[in-house]
Amino acid sequence: MARPIRLDDVRKEYHTAGTTHVAVDDLSLEIPEGSFTTIVGPSGCGKTTTLRMIAGLETPISGTIHFGDRDVTEVRPQDRNAAMVFQSIALYPHMTVRENIAYGLKVAGVSKVERDAAVDEAAETLQISEQLEKMPAELSGGQQQRVALGSAFVQDPDVLLLDEPMSDLDAKLKAELRVEVQRLHQEMDATMVYVTHDQTEAMTMSDHVLLLEEGRLAQFAPPGDLFDCPVSQYVAEFIGTPSTNTLPATVEAGDHGPTIVGEQFEIPAPEPQFADRIGDSVTLGIRPQYLSPDEGDHRIRVIVNVVEQLGTEFVVHGTSVDGAHVNVVDENVGEAGADDELSVGFDAADAFVFDVDGETICHGDALGAARSASTSQ
Amino acid sequence: MSAVSTLQGRLGEFDEKRLLLFGTFVPFTLFFVLVWGVPIGYALGMSLFSDPTGAAEFAFLGNYVDVVTSELFGTALVNSVVYALSSTILSLVLGLGLALVVNREIKGGNALRTMMIFPYLLPTLVVIFMWTFLLDPNVGAMNQFLLDYGLIQEPLAFFSSTTWAMPAVVVTSVWKYGSFAFFILLARLQAIDPNLYERARVEGASTWQAFRDITIPNLRGAILIIILVRGIWMFNKFDIIYLATRGGPLDATTTLPIMVYELAFLGSPNFGGATALAGIMFLLLAAVAVVYFWAFNPEQEVAA
Amino acid sequence: MLGLGKGAAGKYVSQRTQERVRRVAVILTALLVAVFVSIPVYVMIAIAFQPSVTTFRGGQVNLLFDSFTFDNFILLFTETGTPRYLFNSFVVTASSTLLATALSVAAGYGLTRFEFRGKTMAARAVLFAYMFSPIVLAIPLYVIFFSLNMLDSYFALTLALTGISAPFGIWLMWQYFQTVPVALEESAWIRGASRTRTLWEVVLPVARPGTIATAIFSFSVAWNDFTMARVVMSQNEMYPITVGASLFLDRVTIGWSETMAAAVLMSLPPFAIALFLQNYLLQGFNVGGLE
Repeated sequence: MARPIRLDDVRKEYHTAGTTHVAVDDLSLEIPEGSFTTIVGPSGCGKTTTLRMIAGLETPISGTIHFGDRDVTEVRPQDRNAAMVFQSIALYPHMTVRENIAYGLKVAGVSKVERDAAVDEAAETLQISEQLEKMPAELSGGQQQRVALGSAFVQDPDVLLLDEPMSDLDAKLKAELRVEVQRLHQEMDATMVYVTHDQTEAMTMSDHVLLLEEGRLAQFAPPGDLFDCPVSQYVAEFIGTPSTNTLPATVEAGDHGPTIVGEQFEIPAPEPQFADRIGDSVTLGIRPQYLSPDEGDHRIRVIVNVVEQLGTEFVVHGTSVDGAHVNVVDENVGEAGADDELSVGFDAADAFVFDVDGETICHGDALGAARSASTSQ
Repeated sequence: MSAVSTLQGRLGEFDEKRLLLFGTFVPFTLFFVLVWGVPIGYALGMSLFSDPTGAAEFAFLGNYVDVVTSELFGTALVNSVVYALSSTILSLVLGLGLALVVNREIKGGNALRTMMIFPYLLPTLVVIFMWTFLLDPNVGAMNQFLLDYGLIQEPLAFFSSTTWAMPAVVVTSVWKYGSFAFFILLARLQAIDPNLYERARVEGASTWQAFRDITIPNLRGAILIIILVRGIWMFNKFDIIYLATRGGPLDATTTLPIMVYELAFLGSPNFGGATALAGIMFLLLAAVAVVYFWAFNPEQEVAA
Repeated sequence: MLGLGKGAAGKYVSQRTQERVRRVAVILTALLVAVFVSIPVYVMIAIAFQPSVTTFRGGQVNLLFDSFTFDNFILLFTETGTPRYLFNSFVVTASSTLLATALSVAAGYGLTRFEFRGKTMAARAVLFAYMFSPIVLAIPLYVIFFSLNMLDSYFALTLALTGISAPFGIWLMWQYFQTVPVALEESAWIRGASRTRTLWEVVLPVARPGTIATAIFSFSVAWNDFTMARVVMSQNEMYPITVGASLFLDRVTIGWSETMAAAVLMSLPPFAIALFLQNYLLQGFNVGGLE
């Protein structure tokens, strides 16, 4: 039965040769029961450590972990009713596929008849019924991963954990298995936690995304929120490909109130957030997807470096006239080529503003509202 | 619970992990203490007494001094070094040559490999039988061969000749132990990425250059390890020399281990001297090992 | 593949000819080595299986097979202590192999998976033990066994032999276990298997090649051994075959034919291993010190 997973001030440190490395820094969050949550972040941000603590393979130095009402912080992995799929797949090389899948049940003392039935069912769900009597070494990477998924499925766990299960597979296999995993999620009554460094997976598969920054929670929200309402520059830059464009600016006092002034643009800023920030340096963030040639309230001029064509979209890699890298993603870039100058624009409602520490001051709608407020004056 | 975890116990799996830790280490520690620790300690103790099993008188370093200043010590030391170095280097050279050969030619390679393992597994005594026979002045094939081809006038009693005893012993040792170097080098050779050679060819390197710039650097670690390991092992070898020549003739093949044996079991037992000599041997080896590691750092080459 | 180290004749001789020359050189070298390795073995077999009369006819050694006989072996079994010697060898070798392997597997696993204070010391101790000549261990063991009245016992010799083979065995298993991914064990734990159960059902089966390599090594050391046996055993009926046979060289009544027959007997187990288990042995060599 699926349970919510709650972490309270969970902390994990590693001591090596005199120095202490904080892998997970007082992390607190609650993962809703039955949801599909992905933990993303760059290498070393603590996502695998967090997953392993949920599994019980590592124990936090401080803090607690609950599955629903049950405090599992000190409970052995054997007793947590969780299942895990490993990055290295971890199939027992000396057992057949059937025996591999059945192993957990065997340990639990389930009778052979029941075991076989459960394995057959799992194999069918994952379309590996043909491979049941083979040895792991005879299977392809994708098949092996399905066996691993089957082994987890068969346990009927409360919590299913996956540690970068696709990272060793090619793109096509990844796409196939992504669908499998989501199917499994629908069929199983479990809370799924999925660790990956591939944000495409994160954004397409999950109900919630947990983005970590050096062991700390950067943002925990549904994918759409991370895309359009990032709480920090870190989030805005990590999520989305290509990365959010960042342009420097300052807050100045303007005729109609505070204004965000950059090299090529002036955006009216909402009073409440910016009244005290006159004179501060800020950063404007705008996603490439929200920049369009010759459209939008605010324009910037960009020198084109390289244009990539991906299907129906074009990605323009360029440099703005004041030196910042600017990328544009749009379906229509006209005849733009290298060294051409392009005028692209955006609406304030699509922009983010970050302070010097990277925290978002406001984004999107608030900015949009400020504009309409100032123009209506 | 982590697989590599500290003993600062956590509640819960404290018991089982503790139990396992005990289970794996207690036998190990017990065994080592009993079979190694106690005897070595005891030996060390013995070395400080003259006549330790009889009227033990505390002689502190007396035994050590006696041993080092004895006539035999110098000869034995030289013999040990000569033996260790020549058998190691010969094994290395032959092993390398053969490994290079086998690396290319897989056809029949398997049979060759089986053949190469065999001498290593044979009891030393059997090897001695074979070679004593082969080199026997009366019935040995070697002598017959040399006589027939006029290379010598009279049969040569290899193991009884002061000049030839050591070389004979070295050859016998290489025959038995040479495959060690062969296997290690072969494994290492096969691990070299063939793409490196292909690239070298494309870039115009000759066979010799490829060998010098790709093969040798990659083998460096293995070679260093072989020299260290075999060197130590050969330095400490007792049975093959003893069985072949008993250290003779006239101490021509007496190495330090043989000297130890003679001190302890030949004539009036001088356990004090024997253990002192053993201690000296160890110190020598330890010193060499330390210098070796410091100078070459072979561990870097090998993922220890 | 390059690597023969021959001179850069490329400028003067066509590639094809070079290839052919190399090929010939390769085959020649292989042949030479094969001959070098097999001659002593052939000699042993030739002499063991022929009656001494034929072998030594006319003062010259006759190495070509004229006749075939088991007489030499029969002589060994009826007129020397060979059966008893063989029995001793088997007992001591079997026990020592078992003990050394069990120890190595346990210690190897522990060293790989557990961190604890004094671990580096333990690892160094193993290396330290390796640098001692067996003769060095033999002397104090002799004195200790003597005072404990344990000389001439299987137990004492087994301990001594295990002492010699264990250090390398432990090191071998230690290296080997490092190639067994922890994820395999973790996967079993999450499925509910206790650590011990995981050890038996997952770790040990996966580690079997390494275990066998260690067993082979310990077997070699024990079966092969002369030094320890010579020191620990002084009664003729306790001698293993190696010590027993060494006496043959000194006895006038035992000729070369019988000695070689004894040599053949001693070579049988190693030969069987080389033939049937060489893969495991090679895996052992691979892991043992040179990834």
